[in-house]
Amino acid sequence: MTSMETAPTEGGIASRQIGRSLNRLEARAKVSGRADYIHNLSLPRMLHAKIFRSTVAHGRIVSIDTSAAREADGVYAVFTAHDIMRVMPEPYFGPAFHDQPILAVEKVRYIGEPVAVVLASDPHVAEEATHLIMAEYEELPAVFNEVDAASSDVHVHDALKPAGTFPDLKHLAGRKATNVALDFRVRRGDVDAAFASAAHVLDDTFTTQQVMHTPLEPMVSVAEPGENAGTLTIHTASQSPSFVRIEIARLLGWAENRVRVRVGLLGGGFGAKLYIKLEALVAALALLTRRPVRVALTMEEQFFTITKHATTFRIQTAVTADGRITGRRCEIWWNGGAYADIGPRVTQKSGFTASGPYDIENVSIDSYQVYTNLPPAGAFRGFGIPQVVWGYESHADMIARKLGIDPVEFRRRNILREGRPHATGTVMRDAAISQVLERVTERMNWQAPFERGSGTVRRGRGIGIGFKALVAPTTSVAMVSLSADGSCTVYSGTVDMGQASDTAIALMAGDVLGIDAENIKVIRPDTDCTPYDMATLGSRSTFHMGHAVRLAAEDARAKVRQLANELGAPFDEPARVGDLLRLKHGMQAGNIVGIGSFMPPYAKPDNETGQSENITPNWMVGGTGVEVEVDTETGHFRLARFENVVDCGTPINPTVVDTQISGAAIMQLGITMFERMEFDSLGQLRNASFAEYKIPGIHDIPDAVGREAVDAVQGNGPFGAKGVGESSTFGVASAIAEAIEDAVGIRIKSLPITPEVVYRALCESRNEPLPEE
Amino acid sequence: MAPFELETPESLREAIGLLDPDDPDIRPVGGGTAIMLMMKAGVLRPRRLVSLRGVEPAYSRITVGAEGELLIGGLTRLAELEHSPLVRQGWPLLSRTLRTLSNVRVRNVATIGGNLAHADPHMDMPPVLSALGAKVTVTGPQGVRTLAVEELATGYYETVLARNELISQVTVPAQAGRPAAYMKVTTRAAHDWPALGVAVLLDMQGERIANASVIAGAATDRPTRLAEAEAILRGALPEQATLRRAGEAGAAELDIVGDPHGSASYKKHLLTVYLGRAVRVALDSARNKENA
Repeated sequence: MTSMETAPTEGGIASRQIGRSLNRLEARAKVSGRADYIHNLSLPRMLHAKIFRSTVAHGRIVSIDTSAAREADGVYAVFTAHDIMRVMPEPYFGPAFHDQPILAVEKVRYIGEPVAVVLASDPHVAEEATHLIMAEYEELPAVFNEVDAASSDVHVHDALKPAGTFPDLKHLAGRKATNVALDFRVRRGDVDAAFASAAHVLDDTFTTQQVMHTPLEPMVSVAEPGENAGTLTIHTASQSPSFVRIEIARLLGWAENRVRVRVGLLGGGFGAKLYIKLEALVAALALLTRRPVRVALTMEEQFFTITKHATTFRIQTAVTADGRITGRRCEIWWNGGAYADIGPRVTQKSGFTASGPYDIENVSIDSYQVYTNLPPAGAFRGFGIPQVVWGYESHADMIARKLGIDPVEFRRRNILREGRPHATGTVMRDAAISQVLERVTERMNWQAPFERGSGTVRRGRGIGIGFKALVAPTTSVAMVSLSADGSCTVYSGTVDMGQASDTAIALMAGDVLGIDAENIKVIRPDTDCTPYDMATLGSRSTFHMGHAVRLAAEDARAKVRQLANELGAPFDEPARVGDLLRLKHGMQAGNIVGIGSFMPPYAKPDNETGQSENITPNWMVGGTGVEVEVDTETGHFRLARFENVVDCGTPINPTVVDTQISGAAIMQLGITMFERMEFDSLGQLRNASFAEYKIPGIHDIPDAVGREAVDAVQGNGPFGAKGVGESSTFGVASAIAEAIEDAVGIRIKSLPITPEVVYRALCESRNEPLPEE
Repeated sequence: MAPFELETPESLREAIGLLDPDDPDIRPVGGGTAIMLMMKAGVLRPRRLVSLRGVEPAYSRITVGAEGELLIGGLTRLAELEHSPLVRQGWPLLSRTLRTLSNVRVRNVATIGGNLAHADPHMDMPPVLSALGAKVTVTGPQGVRTLAVEELATGYYETVLARNELISQVTVPAQAGRPAAYMKVTTRAAHDWPALGVAVLLDMQGERIANASVIAGAATDRPTRLAEAEAILRGALPEQATLRRAGEAGAAELDIVGDPHGSASYKKHLLTVYLGRAVRVALDSARNKENA
């Protein structure tokens, strides 16, 4: 819960809260070590479970010998899928497909998949005993590359099992003999004709690598049998407590109200802690043992739990001689790993934006979610958008170069403007794409002469822009309670994972009610008392929960007015509710409770054409400009300038908007420059540790990170706002690739762009290739 | 992690007595920064750890000897070495290198003796101390012996030390204003282990290099002296072509293997570039000091 350090303003009515630059309400609790993280939770009689994992990428389980582990000193129990099925007969979970077993059943599908667990009071004893488990597998051929897997005879699953949660996926039920879990398409205009009559056709393929979210608080869940039989409390570091409750209830065949899911602050999420991760496992273990059970992953184990899709993106573009894009074909293969997680939604929601923020009459998009024998991929800050922007913006720069047009000017000629239809047919509203492009350009001082360096240090620059459709349709519900002393409590299911959502919620409720945000208490998600929220993902909370909180606060306000009318008292401000309640009850008693529920309108895209009148409630826009210095002798490069601009509508809390812009841009910088999960030919991950998987440190970040939110208003947003957590990831990668080409004349089409990659390309451009080994 | 005994002796002699030359499951531990990671990863499963924290403070002192040599107790924390005014004045190469060695949390606890005895080839101190001609004093049950830092490592995590010998002192000859540099070349994040480390120490005779001490680290399984490169530099003017030739000779004499930091051919190329850069940086920093 949010601690309140400042004294309430005595009787005063607060001025507007929206637009205040406010530090996080929990900042003091965090830096003084008092903040509530599930990681610190310890319960009486709690058992620790450690996971035994598959050592083969694809195989039938012949036998699992747990006898030695069971007999080890201090071991309480060892369980496999057979035990799980005693409490969950159909032990498969997943938000999009019910394809993922809690522990492997009959088959294993990637190296690192959970196969068995050891429980003990001492986590070290449990961990040691996992080494005593022996599993025998009949190995099967495996597939790793997303393009190969799409047409391979090796099938990761026998049949597709859509969950039924998302209406867009229902048609896939029962499909067999395929690794393609979803084939989403967009068709608009006559693409073949556009290509036949084009002055130029460009055809390029871009790839991205598999990476991991690396939240610094690794995943942790604790399940506790309730005081009444047939109830369960799950304490978990989750971004989606409501979904956890629904899914656990489904697995157990229970009513939702028998499961309580409670969340603390999260030490980072970035999409890793969405839907179900460890919760189904701890729930089953707590029911089997009738004791609290904790599963806390190590940093290393997170790499085997959820990742970001590697992709292959083939993009073909038809252009006129003067640089107008007339047609575009996009084919994207998403490497989903062994289980779908939310991958099919990523494939669809990012897939339909793959032709870019450009006004193109003729578009064809095919977006394939593909099963492989690698760790599963799901949501990752950007929800697939950074992968498609990398392709379409790199391609834009290559077209501009081929045509000899300035890259900014090329974008201006093609940009998707207000009131024009997007490739899905949805008409653009409140998407400040042009404005973002122009502000990036101005911040880069694009028109001024540019110093290109000399000798072994060459300089170049590039810009990139991208957009994202807010994931729809989803629901948020919130409650606002005013007490008889006038103080305010907000009940919301939004999870604060570092993005300062508690502070934003307090600002929004306070704005409606005339109360300073510092004096509002925001209750952390607990499904026993906070109402439903779809999840904290995809920059949806500001918009959806923002509306729900606004509606709840307005509802409370209306009730205060009604109470004033009933009492014949003057209605002043809702913050004066205490006077009214005292008048009514004759003492300090009673509450006013406001409720808000929000789901934006949405029109499902046509299955054949992807066309929709209203595919999203809003578009989030981000652009980046960089200047790089390349060391031509080694391929090392550094960013000399890093400008990031977003359209987030009205900033609710400018301080936090600022840090979301820099944080997202830096995260994408690491993915662009060095992050990569490295697998050997057997599908074994070779760098599952921070010693060998590198994320950016302070010395990798440019001295200055430019940050700006353009002056824009989201007409249908709460207080004119929309999300901002992902937008500055969009343009980073392609801008760097373009700046490198601008500096030294080589084009990199695959991430990450390491010094060796650059140096090898330089050697090749001189016709002196460096030996492979 | 498996259970283990933790011994906390109060003297070096006692610590040595708790070690066993024939038992690989008994390990000394200084700062513990490397050993704890290996234990957590399950690659090291010791039965007994002998903590050196309680041994006599004499083994963590930094002093200057009669001949102007730097005497560093084996248990001196890297951070103390980094911030020592003595070191900063007399051995600026050490101070500069320590600033980019791992991170401040590691430097605050890791010891110089443990650093050298660990013999991970990616470490920065072994090539730097080797270039400076440093020696280690090794104490065992039979007494002390002295050997060059350069002779310490025999391979990946392997040294000439017996299991019951401890590095009790490191002796570094006076840098005496001689130009020196260490180039730490990373290919992923800046805080990564280096793909290549190049340490040089130059004896100058006017504009000419009278003698060069050149050690490559990280790219091979132990720090290696580049004798061919040294021969080319000896008596030469530090001109671009000569430096390039020295770099190429250095790359040719090294058996480099590829790893996730870079392919063998790329790391060889880095050496051809960075050997010359190390010489230039050494000369520039010495010159700047004169001007300062």
